[in-house]
Amino acid sequence: MATLSRPRPRRSLVWRNTVAGWSFILPNFAGFAALTLVPVVALFYLAFTNWNVFGVAEWTGTANFRRMWNDASFWTALKNTVYYTVFHIPLTMAAALGLALLLNRKLRGVAFFRTVAFFPYITSIVAIAVVWNQLFSPEYGPVNAFLRWVGIDNPPGWTTSADWSMPAVILVGTWRYMGYYMLLFLAGLQTIPAQLYEAAQIDGATPWQRFVNVTLPGLRHTTFFVTVMLTIESFKVFDLILVMTQGGPGQSTLVLSQYVYQKGFVENQFGYASAVSIVLFAICFGVTLVQFLVNRRVER
Amino acid sequence: MKRAIPAVVGAATALALVLAGCGGEDEPADPNAPVTITLAGWSLSTTPEFKTLADGFHAAHPNVTVELKEYDATNYDTQMTADLAAGTAPDVYVLKNLKNFYTYQSGGQLLDVSDTAGGLASVPSLGAYQVDGKTYAVPYRQDSWVLYYNKELFAKAKVAPPDGSWTWDDYAAAAKALTTGIKAAGGKATGAYQHVFQSTVQGFALAQTPGADLLSGDFSYLKPYYQRSLDLQAAGAQPTFGTANTNKLTYQAQFGKQQSAMLLMGSWYIATLLKQRVSGDADTFDWGIAPAPQFDKSTTGTSATPVTFGDPTGLGINPKAGKAEQAAAKAFLGYVAGEEAGKALAGIGITPALVTDAVSQTLFGLDGVPQDDLSKFAYAKHDTKVENPVSKHTAGLQNLLNETHSAILSGSTGLDPAIDEAQNRAKNEVLNQ
Repeated sequence: MATLSRPRPRRSLVWRNTVAGWSFILPNFAGFAALTLVPVVALFYLAFTNWNVFGVAEWTGTANFRRMWNDASFWTALKNTVYYTVFHIPLTMAAALGLALLLNRKLRGVAFFRTVAFFPYITSIVAIAVVWNQLFSPEYGPVNAFLRWVGIDNPPGWTTSADWSMPAVILVGTWRYMGYYMLLFLAGLQTIPAQLYEAAQIDGATPWQRFVNVTLPGLRHTTFFVTVMLTIESFKVFDLILVMTQGGPGQSTLVLSQYVYQKGFVENQFGYASAVSIVLFAICFGVTLVQFLVNRRVER
Repeated sequence: MKRAIPAVVGAATALALVLAGCGGEDEPADPNAPVTITLAGWSLSTTPEFKTLADGFHAAHPNVTVELKEYDATNYDTQMTADLAAGTAPDVYVLKNLKNFYTYQSGGQLLDVSDTAGGLASVPSLGAYQVDGKTYAVPYRQDSWVLYYNKELFAKAKVAPPDGSWTWDDYAAAAKALTTGIKAAGGKATGAYQHVFQSTVQGFALAQTPGADLLSGDFSYLKPYYQRSLDLQAAGAQPTFGTANTNKLTYQAQFGKQQSAMLLMGSWYIATLLKQRVSGDADTFDWGIAPAPQFDKSTTGTSATPVTFGDPTGLGINPKAGKAEQAAAKAFLGYVAGEEAGKALAGIGITPALVTDAVSQTLFGLDGVPQDDLSKFAYAKHDTKVENPVSKHTAGLQNLLNETHSAILSGSTGLDPAIDEAQNRAKNEVLNQ
């Protein structure tokens, strides 16, 4: 009998701690549940229906997914999303890492340059789009004026050309996000012990060898985090494209999240839009999962 | 997933119950009892039309008060859709364009107002809101596209101003002659400005080409119209689509600040131009309006009726409004499409649904409005076709044609392949749904 009465105070303590813990996260969780979790869960139901906002959603089984299979616009959007991702991730990583290495030294005014690199990230995206569009203006823009000055007679049409609109958007995307990821890399660089560099130097390692054998392995956790964040951010790119090109000219910069927006909020086909967003979710989820598995294997 | 289904079914049931719960009240019908109805509007401080209608109706029906509920101008339809679905929308709401009329009507969000519409047979655009013989909304304004022109720039370039006889070829020739003439006189303005809207090409092509039908999925009628635009761009007679897009040119500044001598735009721009002349956002110059250029000679000249396009703006009644509110709202709808409201709207520069002589006189009595006969003719007489025929496919087709528009005018895709692609996409992605 005495043994049974012993756990009671501990259980009540656990209970009290749990309640206290929950009450701390409740304000945030309630907002998250009401505004994100419930809609996301509902999405998985809506994807199998035909619903135009009004009335009750009509169950249509896999019809939306079969339609998607034959929808050329969906494939165009998917192709463009992959195009953006494949270039945006390595470019941004290289630029961010380069900036971080450059600004990770004792230099007069280094704080100023770090701020400059971070500035695009905190600037309003609409302002960025308007200004870059003017810079890219094919006839009167400074970018092409410069290209003509260095001797390129027929500079690209940038956002007004189907072939160059995606490179233009990728450039601006890289410019905008490199400062943010530079900060993450800077934080990562500070965690690498200086002794490792000293030891490498004593062993006669060249700067390049030090970079490959000390810096890169030391940054592995940061690099992994940056890759995951960049991947998700690239696949769901939306605002930048919407304000810069609206997916045009033609469908040359139409990406998946914009296609979801168009089908859902412009054409009121919420069932189909939900189905497309589930595919986008599955892609993000799948790619991230692979990255985690690869990371775990390397860690072993 | 397992929890989602009951949750959604629960929500749907709740919605159905709310739907069923409304409209069942039996109220005594006293036509003079005080009633308050709510009316949706946007940007109320800069868009006086809603208050004009509300005040005008209240003056004639003192027992009915019309209260305004403000929405965001750009997100109007998204917000209204959400409010209607949630059951919190006002009693009377605006159908800002015809593209979304189908969604509201087929979604059961518009009360049948055929009894009110019966008394408004003379209003030309009423038919746009009819489905299966029933009317679901009443227009209060009907804009149509006309040609705005700067008389001073025409004189400077020594080009004969429009006389109502123009086809599109005459327009293109004038645009080029103006550009050369203005340049010779030392000016920098272009002959024409074509705004980036798809309507500036597709609206005219659809309205004027014999046999053109948006819903047929055959878009070959667009070709000559695009050919002309591309030609004017290449000749430098109007800013290119790329420049207009990347530099975010506005048609208000382009015409109002005399950067271009001609502008095709809807009649809503009259009120804007008058206001901007006072505020200084536009220069004060001698201007006029002319009928839009025509497909061929058969509809030109002031003895014919020029063909143009424009969607009406209408008011519909929320079926969830109470009995008394519905009755008052129907009376309000009868008022907004009539001549009294028309004169009040013309007084603030707006083109009402029914343009009578009295309405025309009111508008041309405003300060700054041109007084020549051609302007009066262009304002009052035209056959205005709808830009968006009512169908479940309209929104999808217009969206894909908007992509076609940017592909062609940016020079990214050749005219023929772009139209072919649009037709294929229409067939495989929209019309088969």
